[in-house]
Amino acid sequence: MGPDDRDPEGDAADPAVPDAGWSEGWPSEHDEDVYLGEEAVVPPGEYTHIPSRPHRNDDVELRELERRVESQRTPVYPIDARRKRAPASLEALWEGWRKLAMSGRADVVDDFGRDPRTTARWEPLLELLYTRWFRCHTTGLEHVPAHGPALLVANHAGTLPYDSAMIVHAVRRDHPARRDVRPLIEDAIFHLPWLGPLVNRIGGVRACPENAERLLQRGELVAVFPEGVKGMGKLWRERYRLQRFGRGGFVKLALRSRAPLIPVAVVGAEEAVPMLGKVTWFARSVGLPYVPITPTFPWLGPAGLLPLPSRWSLRFGPPIDLAAQYGPEAADDRLLVNRLADQVRAQLQQMVDEALAARGSAYR
Amino acid sequence: MTQAAPRQRRIRPARGRVAAITGACTYLGTELCKRLDEDPRYDKIVVLDVRPPSLPAAAQSKLVFFNVDLTQPTVDDDLAVLLDREGVDTVVHGAFLSHPTHAQEWAHELEDVGTMHVLNACAEVATPRVVMVSTTLVYGAHPANPNFLPESAELRGHRDSRFINDKVRAEKQALRFARDNPGSRVAILRFAPILGPTVSNMFTRFLSRPVAPVMMGHDPLMQFVHELDAAWALQLAVDGDAEGPFNIVGKGVLPYTTVLAMMGRVPMPVPYLAARQLFKALWATQVVRSPPSLLDFLLYLCVADGERARRELGFAPRLSIKRTIYDFLGLRPEDDATDVAQATG
Repeated sequence: MGPDDRDPEGDAADPAVPDAGWSEGWPSEHDEDVYLGEEAVVPPGEYTHIPSRPHRNDDVELRELERRVESQRTPVYPIDARRKRAPASLEALWEGWRKLAMSGRADVVDDFGRDPRTTARWEPLLELLYTRWFRCHTTGLEHVPAHGPALLVANHAGTLPYDSAMIVHAVRRDHPARRDVRPLIEDAIFHLPWLGPLVNRIGGVRACPENAERLLQRGELVAVFPEGVKGMGKLWRERYRLQRFGRGGFVKLALRSRAPLIPVAVVGAEEAVPMLGKVTWFARSVGLPYVPITPTFPWLGPAGLLPLPSRWSLRFGPPIDLAAQYGPEAADDRLLVNRLADQVRAQLQQMVDEALAARGSAYR
Repeated sequence: MTQAAPRQRRIRPARGRVAAITGACTYLGTELCKRLDEDPRYDKIVVLDVRPPSLPAAAQSKLVFFNVDLTQPTVDDDLAVLLDREGVDTVVHGAFLSHPTHAQEWAHELEDVGTMHVLNACAEVATPRVVMVSTTLVYGAHPANPNFLPESAELRGHRDSRFINDKVRAEKQALRFARDNPGSRVAILRFAPILGPTVSNMFTRFLSRPVAPVMMGHDPLMQFVHELDAAWALQLAVDGDAEGPFNIVGKGVLPYTTVLAMMGRVPMPVPYLAARQLFKALWATQVVRSPPSLLDFLLYLCVADGERARRELGFAPRLSIKRTIYDFLGLRPEDDATDVAQATG
């Protein structure tokens, strides 16, 4: 309502443009000043339904028709008339800067913020970690469905989410369908400066029930770490002892969305970042759950956060189809949810123990 | 409301409707005036504002202008008389500021108390249809926000932003009004930041500068709605009978730094705490026109889910975020432009 509320140039100059009216016909595609954008695809069949003379007194039908046409119409702008032109040299500089700034990032990201170009750029590093550094040995990928939703339930370790990165990379690299796994990331990591946005750009999603439900509805593979921060913050002496599985949120999720659970045992993450101790009194003030003490961190500075070259083993277990045994209403039965969560935990603990015994030496 | 209470609902006629618009000088108000003026179902458009909207004479054949200042203490009486006399059956309340202002007392009178006046008048004459304009800022940027906020999400606002909290209070009044007056069908449209070639608001102003602050290490996803999609959604809401709050959002999201890169703006990384202190000082000395609370929206996510509007209002955005940005810049999209459908499909 202030005097500066509307752009003075854009206002009176061209009032009828945004609503040129579909009945006046489409502008010619060869017209220099207008363009039909990428959405201007009206299926040809759509026009055949439009009667040339709408029923006279049938308001409802007319409105429906208008609505349909309106929803298909892409507005047309005489762009050049509106553009405030800068001197040519500045324009060129601006164009150059735009190109430079857009390099390495895509102009389209998916609903949860994964940038395909950034993902592709980080792929070689993940491949290096997967094959050379951690020498991952992956088994049981045939249990991951080629399409449709599924919930990968994995144990959690390591200060930084190397384990989710390896699960994502294993499925993308070795599964015949090359599916993308969307790992759910705890707030502690997701809101970390620099790391959080990076994790988000390469596919991580903030862990909350709404996000997980939406992803499963879209038929995606979702990796959850029910231990959460408790699992990440395990000390060396508790390694490979699975912590409490939250409040069983992942079981509720599986019951509601009818997606199968696939247990994933990750062995090696504990040795990659062996946590000797953690400091909590100082961490709270900077918004972290704890500051880890490892053989290299904080002694070597940020470089100390690089993982040690432990030998990894990923085991995908046979799917647990809760939907076959229980209806969606079972998600409200708290005792049942807790019991199921504990069953899954026990099964995963057993898988971890087996994989640990089969792996042998940790670093060789 | 119990079923026993008879719901007295004045049904709007299919033709010969009379709409009243507050805040007709805002982008959405002017655009709605234009659209309703062409619509044969509306006989009269009552414009309530402190100045008439700047429209060509051809586009205001049905417009009747009344000088109404919502900050006056007894304006609700006058409004009720006016609505009754003109036979208004549709009230569109859009008198909200699109820029934050240093005159915070006045803004509070206009947005919060002004909404009270309008709703009082609507209750008095039992207006069958009330549509209110709001923004998705009322959800607030919060670390615990899910990626897509549904309409049922809590309206967190901001702990010390009067600009946002006035809008939250106005919304809460409207929700209460809807509960207490079952005879009125109330729709609240929460618009994502509106961008486009003609609209002018705090977001277009912010993004028009060559340099834009970036909270160091943070890069939340952003969402916009094209001005034409926004105007179309408002028109759909005024025409229809859908009730309750609706998120009006565009197609697709982009990270904040990618938005800046597409626009060719120079990102200036600032640590959040330093930026907050700096903007506090600049705001207090009235050097900048944006309060420091808006920096939170560069830190955390505030993206809304438009599913309900698609289902119940029939509004599905036609223009992608990329196209919205290109239109805002006045650029043609490149021929090989990728669209959202390709990325998510």
